Amino acid sequence: MMQSLRALLYKEWLDIVRSYKLLWMPLLFIFLGISDPLTNYYMEDIFNAVGNMPEGFSMTFPDMTAETILLASTNQFQSIGLSVLVATTASMISRERQNGQGILLYVRPVSTVQIFLSKWIVASALAIFSSLVGYAASLYYTILLYGTVDAVGAIQMMATYSLWLMIVCAICLLCSAAFSTAVAICVAIVCVPIGVMVDQLFGTYWHYSPYKLATYGAEFLTKTSTYFMATCMLSISILIVCIVLGIFFTKKNRQRVKSEADR
Amino acid sequence: MDLNVALLAPIFIIQLILMVVALVDISRIHATKGPKWAWVLVIIFVNTIGPIIYFIFGRKND
Repeated sequence: MMQSLRALLYKEWLDIVRSYKLLWMPLLFIFLGISDPLTNYYMEDIFNAVGNMPEGFSMTFPDMTAETILLASTNQFQSIGLSVLVATTASMISRERQNGQGILLYVRPVSTVQIFLSKWIVASALAIFSSLVGYAASLYYTILLYGTVDAVGAIQMMATYSLWLMIVCAICLLCSAAFSTAVAICVAIVCVPIGVMVDQLFGTYWHYSPYKLATYGAEFLTKTSTYFMATCMLSISILIVCIVLGIFFTKKNRQRVKSEADR
Repeated sequence: MDLNVALLAPIFIIQLILMVVALVDISRIHATKGPKWAWVLVIIFVNTIGPIIYFIFGRKND
């Protein structure tokens, strides 16, 4: 039981190493993490260089605090980082099923729960690792250029973001288990990055939504959000529902692939 | 000036690593989705996101 799970985890690990995901995903998050502290730091120089401002023109910039910079980095992760993460994760199960690799796995005596969980564990571990190095890089530059932040708050922020990434991976794998690759990527993009955008536009009307986890996480640097615990509970239940549904659809499609192969 | 170089160096290093790894991979890989030369142009001329687009969409996973 444990042995086959370990073998499946090893297979997924090899997959992220061979596809270079282990290299470029952390690098992308580091890039996103340091871009905001740096652009804000050089904003005046950038305006002077490209702005073509009239003589004597002066512009006051809002004073950037360390907390706003980290919130900006979080928003970078939420837009570009999430889109890239969704595009890679939402094909993990369906691609195997479509190119025939899946059948080699499906005829073996491994449980569907293990197949799904091995993918979810490796995908979320990679996402969490990437976001942690991204936040570490952002924190390094922020502290260097703007001043210190609350250490406990920073750890809470990263932990909250990790929970959010686990949910994102579960949603992507659920889509991948249920639909073909193209449909899965479309549905996952509507559910995750576009969902985040919608929540940012209209989110003032509700407080409890997993899309707000990242914002509440960044708020830990200044205060504890009153809605955090309830949102956290709601998010964990959504996470569990997604995993259970994902296992169900993986099982259904596994039986279909197997019966098609028998014929 | 030295401070600026030190601050901005990581960005160039990240871009360089991504570009070099993508180019090494494209020289070894059997075939890509779409013409190889187009991907080489994308990797070299689109900063940062170019190599990543290649890794996501250009590689044939077999």
